[in-house]
Amino acid sequence: MELSDEGYRLDAEFDIQLSPGLEEAVNRGVPLHFIVEFELSKPRWYWFDEKPVQLTRAYRISYTPLLRQYRLSSGSAYQNFTRFDDVVRALSRVRGWPVAEKGAIRSEGGYQAAIRMRLDTAQLPKPFQLNAVASRDWNLASDWYRWTVHP
Amino acid sequence: MRPLILLCVVTGAGLVYLMSQASANTALFTRNYPALLGLGGLLSVGLMVLIGYQLLVLKRKLRERVFGSKLTLRLMVVFALMALVPGSLVYAISFQFLQRSIESWFDVRMDKALEGGLNLARNSLDNSLNELGRKAENMAQALASAQASEPATLDRLREQFAVDEATLFSQRGKVIAFAGAEATSLQPEFPLAGVIRQVRAQQPVRSVELIPDRGLFLRVITPVNVLTIAEDIRILQLLQRVPAAIAQDARVVDQGWRDYQELTLARVGLKRIFGLTLTLAMLLTLFSAIALAFLLSERLSAPLSALAESTRAIAKGDYSRLNPVRSRDEFGVLTQSFNTMTRQIADATEAMERNQQQLENAKTYLESILSNLTSGVLTFDERYYLRTVNATAYEILGIPAGAFHGLKLPDWTTHVATVTPFAEIVMGQFASAANRQWEQQLEYRRHDGARTLLIRGTRLATRGDTGYVVVFDDITHLAQAQRDAAWGEVARRLAHEIKNPLTPIQLSAERLQHKLLQKLPESDADVLKRATGTIVNQVTALKGMVDDFSLYARASRMAAAQVSLNDLVREVLVLYESMGVPIEPRLGENLPQVAADPALLRQVLHNLIQNAIDALAGAEKPRIVVTSALAAGGIRLSVRDNGSGIADTVFGRIFEPYVTTKPKGTGLGLAIVKKIIDEHHGQILVENLKPHGAHVSIVLPLREAA
Repeated sequence: MELSDEGYRLDAEFDIQLSPGLEEAVNRGVPLHFIVEFELSKPRWYWFDEKPVQLTRAYRISYTPLLRQYRLSSGSAYQNFTRFDDVVRALSRVRGWPVAEKGAIRSEGGYQAAIRMRLDTAQLPKPFQLNAVASRDWNLASDWYRWTVHP
Repeated sequence: MRPLILLCVVTGAGLVYLMSQASANTALFTRNYPALLGLGGLLSVGLMVLIGYQLLVLKRKLRERVFGSKLTLRLMVVFALMALVPGSLVYAISFQFLQRSIESWFDVRMDKALEGGLNLARNSLDNSLNELGRKAENMAQALASAQASEPATLDRLREQFAVDEATLFSQRGKVIAFAGAEATSLQPEFPLAGVIRQVRAQQPVRSVELIPDRGLFLRVITPVNVLTIAEDIRILQLLQRVPAAIAQDARVVDQGWRDYQELTLARVGLKRIFGLTLTLAMLLTLFSAIALAFLLSERLSAPLSALAESTRAIAKGDYSRLNPVRSRDEFGVLTQSFNTMTRQIADATEAMERNQQQLENAKTYLESILSNLTSGVLTFDERYYLRTVNATAYEILGIPAGAFHGLKLPDWTTHVATVTPFAEIVMGQFASAANRQWEQQLEYRRHDGARTLLIRGTRLATRGDTGYVVVFDDITHLAQAQRDAAWGEVARRLAHEIKNPLTPIQLSAERLQHKLLQKLPESDADVLKRATGTIVNQVTALKGMVDDFSLYARASRMAAAQVSLNDLVREVLVLYESMGVPIEPRLGENLPQVAADPALLRQVLHNLIQNAIDALAGAEKPRIVVTSALAAGGIRLSVRDNGSGIADTVFGRIFEPYVTTKPKGTGLGLAIVKKIIDEHHGQILVENLKPHGAHVSIVLPLREAA
């Protein structure tokens, strides 16, 4: 995470291992939704932790069989790929995510930052949700990666 | 228990409804579907636990043999079967149907058709793309050789080749010229940097792209080759919108293929979902049905249990318990009938108890009569087993009470030998008597003497209840009294008749002596003197005898006074001091006075002492002891000698008159004593002493009994 003129920007790289089942699902046209969650927190002994920043970013991987194209979209922005590996690689890279205002981090003690990416199983079609409940293959989530941020 | 089951059932129903809704693809439940499944599973387990608990309760009831529990079990099993069998059948069919129908969505032809459609769309697009590629190459060649300004050439070329949008980029990706057919596409679509790099390497890029908000486009990027090295390579990008109809169709095919593929992939999941929903619904329904079956069967068997409880109460004699009639069905009718029956039983029992009480009273009355009867009463059944016996019977027969209880008459003799004559007579009479009633007198020898019994027997033959009744009386006293009265009468008359001539005899004899004594010669006179002397003496003796008779026979005229017994004894004993027999008085001190006739008492003492002296005639060391002492019931006066005692032959009748062993004696001595003591309401006991001697003991009451 680095401070630029516009605020804090986050670069992150995830090691995503999509199971064959998930890859097949994508290839058969099932869109996968991924959510990257980021939060800044500062522990407080007297109350819940202070969380000045809680952000999520949604990604969607879909396949268009007509065009044989994979598409990674986030909001209105999108990218097309012809190979599955490429789209996964693109997904695993988060570049320049503006996560905080310049003045958001003021405290002396520093903040705990955490980030993770997970497959949003709630957005899966219903039959797969059950798979997600039952099978580990369908339940993809990274652990929280935590580090301390100093202003 | 009941609210819990109802709650579970209602929740289950709600859950099944929600799950069916969730299965119908509504967005709201999609998210919560696993939670619903979990809740359903939890509820099933909960219901199962409830059913298990109910089963346990039922089992305990069965083991304790609670009435109605068997019926509950039976009803429960029936209900459960009724739910289970059709439910399982429907479930099995539904499940099978579900699996089949889901499978039937997929088949190879469908797969092939969709694949073909997709390929068709792809080929169509590819054709268009190739066409656009050729156009691009032609345009690129035209552009390369064109002399006119680039925008104009591009515009011309675009119209010539009927391309929607044409953009010419510089090598670095800057727009050199742009020509667009549509008003909206004033902004050219930029290719990516990577693409430009690829194109610069003389590799044209052809792609079909879905541009959001604009639709499906064909994009061809091709290098505009230079003729001379000095010039920069330019890049031409053509964008051609795919015709709307084709785009639409292609999208439909694409969507269809995707949906189909998704379905194929989701097949297992779908089956699982539907199967789970179905199974859960089935389980919930089934368990609910069974749990409800419990409630229902308990409810059905409840009136039975109530009836059973009432029955038990009735068996214990409690008729007060009436069951409220709650329903109007057969159970209600049954309960009502039961109540009616209970009331009737209560009435009947009350009447029975009343009768019983009456019978009891009658029996008690009869028994009290029997026990207060002075006659002995025995009843036997036809085999001579003793049935009834009153206390007087035992008393008269002189045997301990209850000795013959439940014994056969012939067996009595082995128990108590003394009753043998009695039993023999009774048996003999009943055996022989043709008539139903008989009467016989028996000299019954008891341990304390002989008794005269009058026995009357009756054979019972009323209403088939055969048996024997024996009534007997101790008529000893009666016979004695009769005998005494007869003797008294005889004695009185005899005394009277004999006494009358005695005095003239005596006077005549004396007169004979007086008149003739001087006139007769000496020898005759002597004879006369002896004869008259004998007459006078004998007459005097006869007189004494007659006086005794009259004394015994006279009517009692007791003149009672307070007498000091000891003084009386001393007074009498003085008279016997010169008789040659030592008499030893052992008189108790401070004795109270007794109410008695002193003259009669003197008579008693005289008689007793005279008897003793007579008994001592010829005995060695003759001795008489007269004792007075305080005793139970009065003062005891006893006279004891060491003489010959009383002969066994007369011992039983010692108090009867004219019973004597003495050579000269009227036999009235003890009879008179007995009579006097009886008049004083005292008791007299005579016994022989060991080795020899007799003892007469008299108890006089202190105060004369009223």
